[in-house]
Amino acid sequence: MAVVYLQADHRRFTGGAGVLEVAGNTVGELIDELEHRYPGLGVLLTDGASVAINGEITPNGKYEKVEPSTEVYFVAQVAGG
Amino acid sequence: MSSNTSQYKYVGTRPVRHDGLEKVTGKARFAADLNMTGQLHTAFVRCPHAHARVIAIDASKAAAMPGVKAIVTGEDFCELHPKHPEHDTAVNVMAREEALYNGHVVAAVAAVTSNQATAAAAAVEVQYEPLPAVLSIDEAIADGAPIANFSNRTYFSKDTEPSNLATINNYDRGDITTGFANADIIVEREFRTVAVHQGYIEPHACVADCGQDGKVTIWASSQGHFAVRQKTADVLGWSTDRIKVIPAEIGGGFGGKTTIYLEPIAVLLSQKAARPVKIVMTREEVLRATGPAPAAKIRAKLGANNDGELTTLAATLWFDNGSSKGFNAVVGVMSIASYKLPNLELHAIGTLSNTPRCAAYRAPSAPQVAFAIETLIDEIAQHLHIDPIELRLKNAVVEGDLTAMGAPHPKVGFVETLEAIKNSDHYNSPIPQGAGRGVASGFWMNIGEQSSATVNLNEDGTAAVVTGSPDIGGSRASMALMAAEELGLDVSRITPIVADTESVGFTDITEGSRATFATGMAVVNACRNLKTQLQQRAATMRGVEVDEVEWLDGAAHVPGHEPLAIAEITAQAKKTGGPLTATASLNAAGAGPSFAVHVADVAVDQETGVTTILRYTSAQDAGTAIHPSYVEGQMQGGSVQGIGWALNEEYIYSDKGILENASFLDYRIPVASDLPMIDAIIVEVPNPSHPYGVRGVGETGIVPPIPAVANAIADACGVRMTSLPMSPPKLLAKLNDRSTNGAS
Repeated sequence: MAVVYLQADHRRFTGGAGVLEVAGNTVGELIDELEHRYPGLGVLLTDGASVAINGEITPNGKYEKVEPSTEVYFVAQVAGG
Repeated sequence: MSSNTSQYKYVGTRPVRHDGLEKVTGKARFAADLNMTGQLHTAFVRCPHAHARVIAIDASKAAAMPGVKAIVTGEDFCELHPKHPEHDTAVNVMAREEALYNGHVVAAVAAVTSNQATAAAAAVEVQYEPLPAVLSIDEAIADGAPIANFSNRTYFSKDTEPSNLATINNYDRGDITTGFANADIIVEREFRTVAVHQGYIEPHACVADCGQDGKVTIWASSQGHFAVRQKTADVLGWSTDRIKVIPAEIGGGFGGKTTIYLEPIAVLLSQKAARPVKIVMTREEVLRATGPAPAAKIRAKLGANNDGELTTLAATLWFDNGSSKGFNAVVGVMSIASYKLPNLELHAIGTLSNTPRCAAYRAPSAPQVAFAIETLIDEIAQHLHIDPIELRLKNAVVEGDLTAMGAPHPKVGFVETLEAIKNSDHYNSPIPQGAGRGVASGFWMNIGEQSSATVNLNEDGTAAVVTGSPDIGGSRASMALMAAEELGLDVSRITPIVADTESVGFTDITEGSRATFATGMAVVNACRNLKTQLQQRAATMRGVEVDEVEWLDGAAHVPGHEPLAIAEITAQAKKTGGPLTATASLNAAGAGPSFAVHVADVAVDQETGVTTILRYTSAQDAGTAIHPSYVEGQMQGGSVQGIGWALNEEYIYSDKGILENASFLDYRIPVASDLPMIDAIIVEVPNPSHPYGVRGVGETGIVPPIPAVANAIADACGVRMTSLPMSPPKLLAKLNDRSTNGAS
């Protein structure tokens, strides 16, 4: 299962758990599973968030494929000047 | 410069920029230079209050005035759902029932002459109900504060009531309670910064020409003409196929031209009048009504061990987004990424006020945050008697270390950049007598996003490189150099072009230091496709299989034959398969973060409070410098803007919320005579995700100057400045305060 790292704001939904093993083949499936487990969390992971896979921001968002032991981080979406 | 470019023939060289001759001879066409037959001119009616309800607009007298051809107000625009991504853009372009800041547009007039438009705008009668205004972060978060924007709801909140809070985000790791308990030294301060403008020299401008087919062509100055198309379409409720945007040359953007102000208004006026409409902002309008960088208040507490290991950071960051919500506060958190810091707790709060909606400015929010963190680090180094570079080296992140947001860094060059300053002539030279020296570092993550490129080989073997990235910092030269390297074609035989929205594939805004990185990758991919085609054509010409053809130094080599140069192959293109062209598009992954370290020597006149920059050096990791002169220019430009932000620049509002310094006479940006030559040291730790190692260099350079100057002032006169700008009156007051109280 993929390993998902959550920020302080996300952990409000998980009872404080910050590192979760989540089943799914894509980031979108991980988010769906997390929303199923923790209703309300999904929107925080999709709206205004970028996804980092093993430390690198992926441009593919919810369509990015994940494998067992893939580390998934949700970070703020940033553009620049 | 530490160089990894010697392996290349063209990358890393300094050819004359392709757009240089047109610019120095005045031939370059900026949006304000365009004039069309029958063109109308525009003037705006702007809200004179900081906050007001628009009760009624009577434009009947104005409409009857000589030369007036069209007038638009908020009623001419469609209403977007409050959660539509461009809702706030639409409201900012034209106020509806609520004017949110002094200078907010409430009506626009198009007339035959500029004077007629101005006279008619003055005749538009607007009935306002002034509302209480919010002018600062402290006012926004005060109990019982008036509401700055009645359409705002806190992001991700279930609240249904209007709020002055735009965003609230929290981040933590480790245990700050234990961290501070175990720290040998703790420093804590509150920092204040004010709104500052990007200071681009070219005011916003556009021309719109609506046709009878319901479509419009827009010529605009922007950092992204595809974004102009999309935002204009959203604001008007149009489909994008009705809008063509032609990019004009841009006279500076620095993030401030990543949004729109004029284009939807020009389109509606053109549509009403059935004539082309031109809008050119005045400098006053630019300062009064376009987006500055946000004001901030940062309360930060940093703990360390006696050996200089930074262990714990707690901070609350308030960022004033202006009149509508943005993500300035949370982006500020993202910029905390330079040091290992096992324990941290960060709260980021975005607030609203009745001031112009903030826009991006080079490494948005990072300079304000660096002011706080790098000042505290300097104090710790001072208390522990550790060299400030050595302290930073002890704590610098490397690949795998975590940012404040929790994601690990890819390969980064912070250590190498610190060592570049440590080994620099500047840092190893004595500090001038009576002066002070300060150092500071900065980080920006850089981004990828979507880019497209087409490379066309002409019949004579020259080439055109066509992209959709407006060139705000030398990207045309970079594209040409990478294409030259790939094809083995002299860079002087390559013409880089920025094409309109109907002539090249979709391309995101030139922002996030992304153009040379991401659009450059698209150019490289297109060139590699072209090389494959050239080898196939050469095989046809030589009558051999393609795998017998090798591409070397810009020519096809076939054993037993003379090499075929590109021009020989393109000359035969008609007989070997037709024109040679290739297109590539991508959504770039692997953007490489860039670090910078600056050192400043300053003198402080203790009788006047004037700070003079005596010497300034910037080192920055470029990954690979495709055109080193442009990279140095970015580093120098960022340094100068940061120094201006540090020492002089500020929006000054009256207690009624009226901007009182809306001109470059009173809004003091640095000029050449204010500064010494900025020495630039390019560090090259290649980004492994880019074919030439590019990281992007446009933004990081503005991050360290504020704390570098503040730390130098502290070294020069013992006064810790925690509020910007560190202008003569403020510094003099601190100096006098020190004299009176015997402490800084």
